[in-house]
Amino acid sequence: MLSALILIPFVSAAIIGLSPLPAKNSRNFAIIAAVSVLVINILIGFQFNFKLEGLQFAEDIPWIQWLGLNYHIGIDGLSFPLVLLNSLLTVIAMISTSPTIARQKLYYSMILLLSGGAAGAFLAQDLLLFFLFYELEIVPLYFLIAIWGGERRGYAAMKFLLYTAISGILVLASFLGLVWLTGETSFDYQAVRGHTLPLNSQLLLLAPLLIGIFIKIPIFPFHTWLPDAHVQASTPISVLLAGVLLKLGTYALLRFGVGLFLEGWVYLAPWLAILASISALYGASCAIAQKDMKKVVAYSSIAHMAYILLAATATTRLSMVAAVFQMVSHGLISAFLFLLVGMVYKKTGSRDVDYLRGLLNPERGLPVTGGLMILGVMASSGLPGMVGFISEFLVFRGSFPIFPIPTLLCLVGTGLTAVYFLLVVNKVFFGRLTEGLTQLPPVRWKEHAPAFVLLLLIVAFGLRPDWVTHWSEVQAVALLTGS
Amino acid sequence: MVKTAIKRSKSALIDEYITRLEKGDALLQDSPQNLVEVVGILKSYGVVLDAYSINLCYIANTQFLKLFPLFKYFNGEVNPQKIAKFLWHDRINYEYAEYCMKTMFWHGGGGLDAYVDTPEFTNNVNQLIKAHFKYNPLMLTLHAAFKDFLPEQMRQMAYYSALGQFWRVMSDIFINLSDSYDRGQIKSIPDVVQFILNGLVADATRPITYTVKEGNQTYDILPKDANLTFLADTAVPYVEAVFFRGTPFTGTVSYNAQAYEISYDPGMFAYGALYADPLPVGGAGIPPTLLMQDMRHFLPDYLREVYRHQSLRGERDIRIQICQSFQKSMFCVTTAAIKGLAPHPFDTVDPQQQAANRKYLTGWLNRILESQITKINTN
Repeated sequence: MLSALILIPFVSAAIIGLSPLPAKNSRNFAIIAAVSVLVINILIGFQFNFKLEGLQFAEDIPWIQWLGLNYHIGIDGLSFPLVLLNSLLTVIAMISTSPTIARQKLYYSMILLLSGGAAGAFLAQDLLLFFLFYELEIVPLYFLIAIWGGERRGYAAMKFLLYTAISGILVLASFLGLVWLTGETSFDYQAVRGHTLPLNSQLLLLAPLLIGIFIKIPIFPFHTWLPDAHVQASTPISVLLAGVLLKLGTYALLRFGVGLFLEGWVYLAPWLAILASISALYGASCAIAQKDMKKVVAYSSIAHMAYILLAATATTRLSMVAAVFQMVSHGLISAFLFLLVGMVYKKTGSRDVDYLRGLLNPERGLPVTGGLMILGVMASSGLPGMVGFISEFLVFRGSFPIFPIPTLLCLVGTGLTAVYFLLVVNKVFFGRLTEGLTQLPPVRWKEHAPAFVLLLLIVAFGLRPDWVTHWSEVQAVALLTGS
Repeated sequence: MVKTAIKRSKSALIDEYITRLEKGDALLQDSPQNLVEVVGILKSYGVVLDAYSINLCYIANTQFLKLFPLFKYFNGEVNPQKIAKFLWHDRINYEYAEYCMKTMFWHGGGGLDAYVDTPEFTNNVNQLIKAHFKYNPLMLTLHAAFKDFLPEQMRQMAYYSALGQFWRVMSDIFINLSDSYDRGQIKSIPDVVQFILNGLVADATRPITYTVKEGNQTYDILPKDANLTFLADTAVPYVEAVFFRGTPFTGTVSYNAQAYEISYDPGMFAYGALYADPLPVGGAGIPPTLLMQDMRHFLPDYLREVYRHQSLRGERDIRIQICQSFQKSMFCVTTAAIKGLAPHPFDTVDPQQQAANRKYLTGWLNRILESQITKINTN
């Protein structure tokens, strides 16, 4: 059943790309494939036992055994929410794509490849298999930015490619070293995890792994590819990039950083917590200075992703749950914000904070988009009643007893979130409508439908956080106990 | 240097508009689109003004000296069905009419403003108050203690009545204009201006009076011998107050008087209909929205068709489109008022008369050029 989550996107991508299917039908076919994956995910959710530790629905098929590579996949409380998030955002990204986009067959093939690759990475229980999926998603994303991106798409795509390729190399180097030092003959996660390396060896392997992962998350100072990629990417791709692909980094942080090198992780944790607080403050400060709405959201992502690092470094029961919750929360909120920024750009042709004004005008502006944006800002700023409040509360509550000062610094970052988003909302949506924007095309309800779905989840999980915490609680804590 | 450049530019604009008016044109550019919009909107405005006028006169004639006139918008017909429709807001927004009345009352100007402060007016009102409250010692005591309170209510009533009478005339002019357009007799914006001017001139000396009945006795609050006339004592103060000054409704922002966002001198106000930004129509608390709401029910089909196609949003932003057309039409009414009040005909060949006209027009245009006129004419 799990393989379907990977195979359906891959096979569908191949059918769309290689078959004589008319381009205009490729959108419907891709959406049907993506919805099928989402439905399977939901069915898995119904059958998934959240009280159990360890893998469920596991599939272990020998593949290239002389290389130590097996097709070993499984799902647990750590990967389930992310796989579900991935399938949901894939559907949303496809629906929010313009039906008239150029080169549809290639576009939808790439999105399906991206989605399948991400699902594979979240499900992989073999280090080498994880690496393959981790690297695989670089290719479609490179094309998605390079072909359908903005004016400087070539530069942004190449920068993304170089950074993430280096990230992959560092992750692979760590995995190879781990297998070599443990004396294992396979890359099986559980097998490798059964060995305990000396602290020095752990630190030696953890260092490249962390740098690789920090690039992916991204954490300051390895973040510079992200704003460029977001600004140049189209709206649906930004949704996937922020909502899913960054989570590959934080997922790897928990699964491999904490799961495989717990002793080394705890040793480095104080420094990592400081780095998290620097990254949070840096991201928030940069967001304040931006004039491009999309860059504001991109830098806010850097700040909010740093909270996951902070939570992971605290390694308390609560903070581990918080880390997973923050991944889900950020995935939903950032996707929501990118959709809305995309809508503003689509209708006005600009994301310039200094140019846009008065978009809340009830008759000639984008009042619904503005209203949703205000709700998104509230969610991102951590206002109660929404998912952002719960995730940040859990992060800070879980981290404070261990790292009080970095936690307080991150709290300042949360305060800054309200500052930069209010600056944007105040400038863009309030006041008098910009002179040249008095004949904006209307936004139809179906154009907002994806955003409404995300808003529903943002509020629902804000009011009932246990619906998310019970997915991951057992498994997140299990990472700390080594079971 | 910069200042000089701006000044020159403004004076060039003034020259341009003076030349335009002297040639018989209007402040608003003549175009088929403008003609359709102006005539169409004045048709619906005429229908709405008719309702406003009836209600204003009803309030003035029957609701005077009532401290809580709960059913003042019902024109004497109070029944559950009408109350339900009122609460459901299926009605004309008479509040807008009162808003204009209060704007006139506050800004003053003209003979009416002067007359309501005369001893004659106070004497007339006092007689009415004594008769009205002859069996109400509480109110008589109140009147004795606060001598200005009830007369002030009657001053407002005088304005209710005067504005009602003014709008009665304007409503007929606008409906007749529309009928003439339908018959093919109005073909350009200058034709519109001339039609309105003819209407204003025809009623220029029409007396403005206000008489109320108390028991079997009638009381002249604005008697005929006060010599208040339509053009000088209601039309001109109305144009000044509502078109040029108004109250701040140019945007959705809250004005801060302490920060001088509102002119401290009422004479420096520039918030009237000619200055209003149509875009914020629909924002909370912006009075013209009520007028736009009312007019949308009475738009002629041809104008609705224009609105359906000229905006990307079809009829969904119809109030903004109505407001834009309304503003255009008010520039036509203003042109008619300027022409009507000019010291000499604009086609005079006498250099002295021409000079006097130019001086007169320069005064008007100095104010009008600060309005939305240049924007409307460049769109």
